[in-house]
Amino acid sequence: MTFPESVRSYLESDYSTQRRPFCFQIDSDCRVLDWWGDADNYGLGGLTAGDDMVDRAPFLIGHLGADAEKLPFVTTGNGTVEVHIFPEGDRYFVIVMDASDEHRFHQQRQQTANELRLLHAAQQRLIARQRALIGDLVEAKTELEHRRKEAERANESKSEFIAMMSHEFRTPLSSIVNYADLALEDDTSVENIRKSAEAISRAARHMNRLVETVLDEARLEAGQVRLHETPFELNRLLDDIATIMAPLAAEKQLSFGIYLEDRVPEMVVADDACLRQILINLLGNAIKFTESGGVRLDVSWADDVLRVAVVDTGPGIAIEDQERIFDAFERAADTSAGGTPGTGLGLTITLGLARLMRGEIDLVSERGEGCKVTVMVPAPASAETPAEETALPEPAIEYRAMRPATILVCDDDEDLLALAEYYLLRAGYGMLIARDGREAVDKALAYSPDLVLMDINTPRLPGSDAASELRAKGFKAPIIALTASDIRKLDMKTFTNSLRKPIQMPRLLARIQDHL
Amino acid sequence: MNQFSAKVCILGDFAVGKTSTVERFVNNQFSEKYLTTIGVKIDTKDVSLSGDVTLKLVLWDVAGTDRFSGVEFAYLRGASGYILVADGTRSRTISAVRTLKEQSFDRYGELPSVFLLNKADLTREWEVSDEDQRRLSEEFANVYVTSAKTGDNVTAALGRLGEMIAERDFPKTQ
Ligand SMILES: Nc1nc2c(ncn2[C@@H]2O[C@H](COP(=O)(O)OP(=O)(O)O)[C@@H](O)[C@H]2O)c(=O)[nH]1
Ligand SMILES: [Mg+2]
Repeated sequence: MTFPESVRSYLESDYSTQRRPFCFQIDSDCRVLDWWGDADNYGLGGLTAGDDMVDRAPFLIGHLGADAEKLPFVTTGNGTVEVHIFPEGDRYFVIVMDASDEHRFHQQRQQTANELRLLHAAQQRLIARQRALIGDLVEAKTELEHRRKEAERANESKSEFIAMMSHEFRTPLSSIVNYADLALEDDTSVENIRKSAEAISRAARHMNRLVETVLDEARLEAGQVRLHETPFELNRLLDDIATIMAPLAAEKQLSFGIYLEDRVPEMVVADDACLRQILINLLGNAIKFTESGGVRLDVSWADDVLRVAVVDTGPGIAIEDQERIFDAFERAADTSAGGTPGTGLGLTITLGLARLMRGEIDLVSERGEGCKVTVMVPAPASAETPAEETALPEPAIEYRAMRPATILVCDDDEDLLALAEYYLLRAGYGMLIARDGREAVDKALAYSPDLVLMDINTPRLPGSDAASELRAKGFKAPIIALTASDIRKLDMKTFTNSLRKPIQMPRLLARIQDHL
Repeated sequence: MNQFSAKVCILGDFAVGKTSTVERFVNNQFSEKYLTTIGVKIDTKDVSLSGDVTLKLVLWDVAGTDRFSGVEFAYLRGASGYILVADGTRSRTISAVRTLKEQSFDRYGELPSVFLLNKADLTREWEVSDEDQRRLSEEFANVYVTSAKTGDNVTAALGRLGEMIAERDFPKTQ
């Protein structure tokens, strides 16, 4: 198609009015040769041939190559232009055209789009932060709830503990009250007073033990208990444990045994008092809760670790109770359901002691399947040889027996018998025991002891009658009365001497020496 | 005195602070107002290098990528180096830099570049962890945490780029 001159010039003039082209020619060193068009519109007015165009048209840098180029929107200090570069031999023709209208149009469109996207990004960030905040809030709330529940539980446990303790205390307390009342009755007999006093003493001792247990626990929890690690003879400790535990088991017709592996060294280094307490607690518990079958203590040793396992055939501990059973103030056996009452402190103390000894406790049990509690404590073998002497205090040297002599002790108070046995045997005396007047008469006549210690208030045959009978049957050895009542009421022709209860062992030994 | 010129392209996602960085570098100014760049905006700045050398940096502030048109690669021709810019308050802008760098290196070969993690003054909105930053330093050479608003590190980063370009393109001057 060929345009008439009028159309062509119209198109040309309109194009040049709108785009206002400016053309210039440069050599390969970027020096201007000649130009045409509206230079002022692009800040290029006042050109002189040979001017360096790098400064005035910096967009040329890097674009003077072999190919024609078009750069759509180039903004400089003098507005936005469209740039065309045409290589021609060793020269370049450059055309710049006004692009501000089109640029403005694109700019506005893009501005809106970008602002929207920025807004969106900001929104996303806000949402994310909000989410994090909500997360924190939920976490804080959960934590608070958890703390509240724990506090509630601790509170409940404390109340339970107090309820339990008052139950524990009620039994001995009521016996103290009752026996005290009995003793204070106007027409009460001497025997009743003595019985009352004994019962009160027993109850008081029981309460004392309870308090000790609670205090032990408190001390352990407060970290006041210190370890005293020394070499000690394991066998001796186990003997003591057997002495304490076997009668308790026998009373409930339970079998009891301590099984010691061959490898266990004779002497180990550990805190023997701690270990003793742990064993007493665990075995005591086992015997307490076991109604049939038996309780066993397995002792083994490897790699400097002593392992003691208490195994019983008791009711066992349900899995769900096992975790909290070692918690202070809690116990698994439910007293409410008629289980054996007792504080749960024993186990907490045991755990505390084991930890103090840097050891561990392991519990294996199931409801109805018995229970095995294993305590592992570091106890390296010791090269020391076992000491010969007993750990218990010896009676003072001046009370030792001057010559071999046998003493008959007649009393129904087991505590006194045990105490007398300890001191008399260690002082070097032989000993016979009678638990009532009749037995005392029989044994005195059969074995002719060198001295008799006779309680006045003995069952079956009162002590004074037993003494008279002995004298009547020609028994010549000294008979010393042990009495809690008025000594003046005694017939001093029958009795050689008397001692007032409570008996102090040194005085007893001195009195025995006086008459041998 | 020796005078050299070098074209440097500034690449990065929209609104990361490319225009603001140039404005800070060239005119020591900053504006909170956001004005979208269309096409390319050209500024020049002379930087003095060691050995009494002045390098005229011709800075091509190339419009950020957008949904309507990708970056105009014709603008990148003849560049001697790149200023890569990301916005520390929008961690997604880092991957935009990664893409732009790959595309331009593919087309025009590997060139000296600096990476500007911009808007360092906006600490509350900062999204790039120290660990991410450490990894960036392994991936990109010459990472600078900058602020066009306060001017932090801007001159240091661009000066470093100038040095690298001079070392590479005008070795005799060194
Ligand atoms: N606070 C802060 N804002 C900045 C910084 N750099 C740029 N901005 C802002 O971010 C927006 C976009 O900046 P601009 O330079 O136009 O980004 P461009 O699209 O990459 O050229 C503008 O509102 C600027 O004011 C900075 O270092 N700190
Ligand atoms: Mg911009």
